[in-house]
Order: sequence, then structure tokens, then C-alpha cells
Amino acid sequence: MKKVLALFTTLALTASVFAVEIGKPAPDFTGTDINGKTVKLSDYKGKIVVIESYNSDCPFCHNHYATGAMQELQRALAANNVVWLIVDSVNTKNFSYRTPEQARAELTAEKMDVTTWIDDHSGDIGHLYDMKTTPHMFVIAADGTLVYAGAIDDRPSPSGDPRTAKNYVRAAVDELLAGKPVTVAQTKPYGCGVHYAN
Amino acid sequence: MRQLFIALTMFVYFAASIAQAAHTQVQLLLSADTAKPGDTIWAGVDLKMDAGWHIYWKNPGDSGIATTIKWDLPPGVTAGEIQWPLPEKLPPAEVTTYGYENEAVLLVPLTLATNLPLGPLVLKADVAWLECQEQCVPGKANVEATLNVGGENRISADATTLEAWKSKVPQTNAHYQFEAWWEMAANDSTRAFVMSNLASAATKNIKLDSVDFFPDASDQFEIQAPTEIISTYSGNISLRKSVKKFSGDWPRELSGVIVIEDGKLKFGCSINFLVADKAPTGGTTASIETLSPTLPPQPLWQMLLYAFIGGLILNLMPCVLPVIALKILGFVSEANSEPRRVRKLGLIYALGVLLSFLALAAIVIGVKTAGHHAGWGMQFGSPVFIVCLTTLVTLVALNLFGVFEVTLGGRALDTAGALASKHGAAGAYFNGVLATILATPCTAPFLGAALGFAFAQSAPVIILVFLTVGLGLASPYILLSWNPAWLKFLPKPGAWMEKFKIAMGFPMLATVVWLFNIAASSYGKNVLWLGFFLVVVALAAWIFGEFFQRGRKHKTAAAIVTLILLAGGYAFALEKELNWRTAMLPDTSATGSLKESADGIDWQRWRPEAVAAARAAGKPVLVDFTADWCLTCQVNKKTSIEISSVREKLKSMKAVALLGDYTHFPDAITAELNHYNRAGVPLVLVYPKNADAQPIVLPEVLTPGIVLSALDRAAK
Repeated sequence: MKKVLALFTTLALTASVFAVEIGKPAPDFTGTDINGKTVKLSDYKGKIVVIESYNSDCPFCHNHYATGAMQELQRALAANNVVWLIVDSVNTKNFSYRTPEQARAELTAEKMDVTTWIDDHSGDIGHLYDMKTTPHMFVIAADGTLVYAGAIDDRPSPSGDPRTAKNYVRAAVDELLAGKPVTVAQTKPYGCGVHYAN
Repeated sequence: MRQLFIALTMFVYFAASIAQAAHTQVQLLLSADTAKPGDTIWAGVDLKMDAGWHIYWKNPGDSGIATTIKWDLPPGVTAGEIQWPLPEKLPPAEVTTYGYENEAVLLVPLTLATNLPLGPLVLKADVAWLECQEQCVPGKANVEATLNVGGENRISADATTLEAWKSKVPQTNAHYQFEAWWEMAANDSTRAFVMSNLASAATKNIKLDSVDFFPDASDQFEIQAPTEIISTYSGNISLRKSVKKFSGDWPRELSGVIVIEDGKLKFGCSINFLVADKAPTGGTTASIETLSPTLPPQPLWQMLLYAFIGGLILNLMPCVLPVIALKILGFVSEANSEPRRVRKLGLIYALGVLLSFLALAAIVIGVKTAGHHAGWGMQFGSPVFIVCLTTLVTLVALNLFGVFEVTLGGRALDTAGALASKHGAAGAYFNGVLATILATPCTAPFLGAALGFAFAQSAPVIILVFLTVGLGLASPYILLSWNPAWLKFLPKPGAWMEKFKIAMGFPMLATVVWLFNIAASSYGKNVLWLGFFLVVVALAAWIFGEFFQRGRKHKTAAAIVTLILLAGGYAFALEKELNWRTAMLPDTSATGSLKESADGIDWQRWRPEAVAAARAAGKPVLVDFTADWCLTCQVNKKTSIEISSVREKLKSMKAVALLGDYTHFPDAITAELNHYNRAGVPLVLVYPKNADAQPIVLPEVLTPGIVLSALDRAAK
């Protein structure tokens, strides 16, 4: 048993080594969105892609939407042809799980301006990207390289106005659009833990 | 009316002091009701969570957020840093956090200015936290408490509660001081390090139930939650952790809490340590097995001297002796040749030795570069190598018996001229190679120290030390060939040499038996098929010698029969029956006595835990690292360890005897050997009864006196 445990921790240690790496190609994934359509990351090759790990009941996510700051950012980026994918990895038994129908209603009610919302209740995409928190953000360049992973901004708080903070996603996309290298490529994500299926 | 007013006031007061979010109640506790100006009292923010809910430590981990306290204090009162009680590591594994369930009291020292006016003071704080269960809810509360500033100290009813929580706050502890080093170069954004407590800081070496490290938070990097436990001995806690870097340089200094669990006891010690670029003793992993001394570095010249002397002595070690027979023969047969030729053959022999040592050095460097442990004689752990060598030495014996001829020096006995010179040169070279191959399972006095030193060094030093050993091994023959005058002391060549040659075949056969015995440890009873194969090879050699080399007719048929025998013997005996390339290694995890005879020493299998357990019980320990292929070890055992005086001594001092079997080259033992700056077996250690004392390292070649006196010292 001890050996198994030791092996397990070793695997856990090595697994983290093989997680997504800044500067390397972002791993492709296939998921189903809340409209039942199949979504592949590689479908968006040639465009900048933002991935947001999302849970509407998490007070950190909630604050970004309740203040309207997140939607503002989504609109600004959409105007520049940036793809925004919501990944919801909450398991089906959790209080915060949204059925596709509930999710569609929430998308409209919150006025979210995103390309699509992927129902990842299996946690496959979440684990592939080692998503820890909601919100945990990723920015992928047009050539498919992962250029940013981490927090949405430098203000880890479930209240107040996020517009006063330095938004790392906006900064990374702006730099990509300007053809400059991304200055802050990695930060520690903050928020609620992702409620993965066991 | 008045009563209603009091009730109302009380209600308001109550509501203010105990705020309730959804699932967490907060109140402010003070250690004193009354305190004097200039005093420091303790405030405690007491958070009580509903069952299943938790709040977060100062480093929340993968998610969550640390609880904050914002003080609103009257002038003259200053709050210190929050003292955090030891948190729990909370699941799930993919999002591990550090936090508190049920209840936590966050402690803060409040200092009162010396000029503080007397009278009541209201102390207020805004507490904010994130409480999580299935989902997370932010909580906020304003709490307050009243402190009376007066001319005396009066502790409050909550003082004992606060004391109890204070004892849960990790403090620094002289017994838990750590050093750490990166395990690999920085290429990705994740990098592992090993942290190990300084041996000198430990008092007792007992096995703890569990150890973990809870790191402090940083914006620039994150020490990831999984902990690989290398050792939980209190004297040598070793953990492997992984760091994910977000920005900036790799951290050089880390801090956090080491969490010790032993029985019902669980506590944390606050630690702070530097992370070095390399492991401290030159080893690649922490030497986890026992508390042991780090030997001081030795100067290179001294090690080269040891290497030379060791190589010289190797000539007399049991492994190399059979080859000496060949060499003597070679020299005698050349004694009457012209000096230049003798000199040349001496040099060619030396060249054979040196090139073989160069090849060994290259293998060692290659193995080390690949990240494995390398050791002297490690090829003897490979059954395939043993089978090849057994076959080769069998052929050498058969050749000496005259069954067939090869281009060994012996062939030159009755032929002269150009042919002999060619054969003589090839023979001398082959002798050098064979001497080196056979020398590797032996370490000699001095050699152990030199090789142990070399194995931990850079490639050029490894090559230098290996070549020096080779030079030592070859030096007697170089000298002899340089001063052919000394060859006069050797007998004149003649018919006796044919007989001597045949006689020298028998030490070779003895070598075959020894190798066969090593092969048996890999193949078990199936080793029979190796014996069968050797017989077929011998038959083939005879047919080749008798009918191909010496025969006049049917030469082609003889050659074909020879080839069929060799191929058939190989396919049937080695491939089909022995399955020689996939030997099963013996199960070394079994425990129990390894006693060799009824009244023999009660050997137990060596494991690091066994050493620590015996030491913890206050018993002296004898450790013998040995291998089936290590002749020096076998000789030591027969002459100086498995003898009646040592057996009785061990019994009378209630010592534990541990046997480390290095036959198949297990990594754990390689690491232990490296730790004592040795590259191979034998290594015999005697751990004194006093668990704090360092083990006594015995020399490579033992006498009963050496072993007994070491045991005497250990018993004190």
C-alpha cells in the first residue's frame, strides 16, 4: 500500500511536470458546448483564444460578472476577433452544476459575450489544462502557442470593482495584437477550487 | 422600560460582537480583562465553521483566499502579525488547499503604549474570509471587544483558550533545521527539490508516522501540494517537493512549516532554508538511509596515489590471479627473445589494460550521464555478461589444455619469426583486456577509496583515476619488460612449459566454477542449461582443434560440425531452455533470517529502516555489503566475519547483523556505498550502540582482529 502511495505521489509530481507549458503548443481538446455542438480548440487555429475556467456560483467569478467588468473585456476582445471559450468543469452532482438549459439561460441573463460555453462536467479539459480555480485564465496565440496562464488580474478579491486592477488577460491579448512578446506570461491563479468529479 | 432598554442594548452589543455569515461565526477574544500600559496582550479572532465548511490558512494553496483582519484600534494600541495555528491539508488532490475546519483562532499580539491613559478601550476589527464546502461564500464581520487599561493585570476567561491555540502556532525548533537542493537543472517552469533536515540537529532517530511541508505563499512561484516522502526518520527527514514558477528567478530561500505526525502527536515547526544548486555530498539523491558522516574531500594527488597502489595490489587479488598464470607463461616464452621485442610486448600488454580501463571509464561516465548510479563491477550484476564471460573463460581453459589453439601467447612456444611476433602481440593485448575484466569484481586495499572518490567526480577525473589504476595493474610487467635482466630469475624455457601451461588451465576452470555460481543466482536451477551449453562449446572446441586445426582431411566438414554445434547449443540451451537474456531477479523484499548454517550469524536483510530500527532500540549494528561475485567479500566472510569469535561477540553484545546483497546491483545499496565514498563492495560498517555516534567504516580486507576491535568499540 505504501508503495502504491509513493508511486501515486511520484506520478502526481511527474504529472505536474507534463502539464501545459508556457511557450509550447496548447494541447488540443474536444468538448461539447451547451448547444450540443462539438467544439475543438484546433477549430480556432489562426485566431487568438482566451479560455476561462468558470463557475457562476463562485464569488470571484460572480464579482467579475456582477460588476460587468468581465463582459466589457469580452466585448472588447470580440471586437478584435478574439475567441473566448468558457470551460465549466463542475461535476453534475455539485450544487453549482448547470444543465445546458440553465447554462443557456445564464449566458443570456448575464449578457456574456463569449464564443461558446463548454460543458466539461467530466473534468477532462480542466485536468488537461491543470485548471485549479475559477476563474483560471489561459491565452493562446494565433499560432496555437500558450502565451499566458494564471489569474485574471492582480486583485484576488470576491468584491469591489475589478476595473481598478491590472488585467493580465487584456494585457496579454493587447501585446499579441501589437505583435509584442507577452510580458507577464504566468501568475498564480486565484479563486474557488474547481469542483471536479471524483 | 429600563429593563427593555438594557435588553435592547445587550442585543445590539451581542449582535456586534458575534457576527454570523452563512456558515461561520466570528468573535474577538482577549487574553486580559485588564492590562497595564506597556503590556502586550493577545487577541484571538475565533472563527467557528459549520460542519463540512472550511476557511483558509495564510497560504490557501491551489484555491481559496487567506482570512484577513483589518484592525480599528484606538491610538496607542498596535497590532502585530497574525500568528496562524497549524492548518490541515484539505482535499481534493487536484486542487489541494491549506485551511481550517470546525474552528480556528487567529492570534494577534496587541501592544499597549506606555503612555496609554487608563480606562476602557474598545478594540475593533473587520474580519473577511472565504468559506467553502460544495461552493464558496465570502464572509465578512465586524467584531469588537473591550479592554480595561488599569494599574494591574487581570487575565480573562478566554486566556486559557488563547493559550491552547497559541500552542498550535508553529515555532522554530533547533531540532528541525533544513537544507535543500534542486534535483535538476531548470528547463521547464516546474522543478523538483529535496529538503532534508541537518543530521546534527536530531536527537533521536525514530520513524515518524508522517511528515509534510506546508509552504508559505509567494506571488512568484508555488510549491505544489504533493509531497514525496523519502525518509520519515526524525534524524533524517527527507522530502521531495516540486516548485512551479510564475515569474522571476528560481527561489534561493524557502520558508513554511514542517508538519510532524507521530502517534497522536501532530505539530508544526516553522522553518526557513536555502535551496542549493546541487546536492551537498555529491550524491544525486538525498542519502536517506541513516545519519552518517559526510567525509571531507580528499586531494586528487592522494587519490591518484591510492589508485596506483590499488591497481598494483589488484595483481594479487583472487580475481586476477588466474590471468597471472597466462602472463607468467607469456614472459617466460619471450625471455630469450631480443630485449626490444620483450619491451614491445610489455607495452602492448599495458596498452590492453589501459584501453580497457578507458572503456570502463567511458561506461561509468555514460551510466552517470544517463542519471543512474554507477559502481565498480556493476557489469557483474548483468546475467548476460556473466554468461558471455563464463563461456570465454571456459575457452581459455580449454586452450591452455591444448584442446585447440588460438592466437594466445602460448602458440609462440614452438614457432618463431614473423608469425609468432604477430600472435605474441595480439596475445599480450588480449591478456591485458582479460586482466582488466576479471579485476573489476575485486576491490583491493586503497582501490576502494580511490574509486569511491572518482565515481562522484567529473568525467576527466574519472578517466584519470581509472587510467592510474590500470597503470598500477600493468606496472610490474612494464618494469619486467624494461629490465629484461630480471627475467633471468625466471626459469629457462623448455618442455616443462607445456606442462605448466596445462596446469594453469585449472585456475581458469576454478574461475569458471565461480562465474557459474554467480550465474546460478540469476537463473536458479535453470543454470544447468548453461553447464550443458559449456559442454557443447567444449566439444565444438575439440572438434575444431583436432579435425580442423590439426587434421589433414575433412577440414570443411569439421568446420561445419563446429558451427552446427555452437549454433544448435546456443539456440537450444541458452535461448530456448535458459532464456538467458531475461533472467529473473530474486525477490529482495522478503524478510527473515539469511542464516547460512544452523549456528551461523543471524543475518537479516539490509534495509535503511532496519538500521534505524535497531539503532533506535539501542543495539549496535554490523552491516556487511557483499555480492556473490565479490571474491574479496567472500574471503572476508570466511576469514573474519562468519567465524566463532565474531559470532559469540555479536551474540553477547546483542548486536543486529544486516546483510546487503549487491549481487544484482540494487540502487539503494549503490546510494549507500556512494554515501561512504565507495564505488563497490566490500563495505563493512559497524554502528555503535550510542545512536548519536557515527558508524565505524572497516577497511576492504579484514582480519578477525579488525572486526573484533570495531565491535568492542561499538559496544561501549
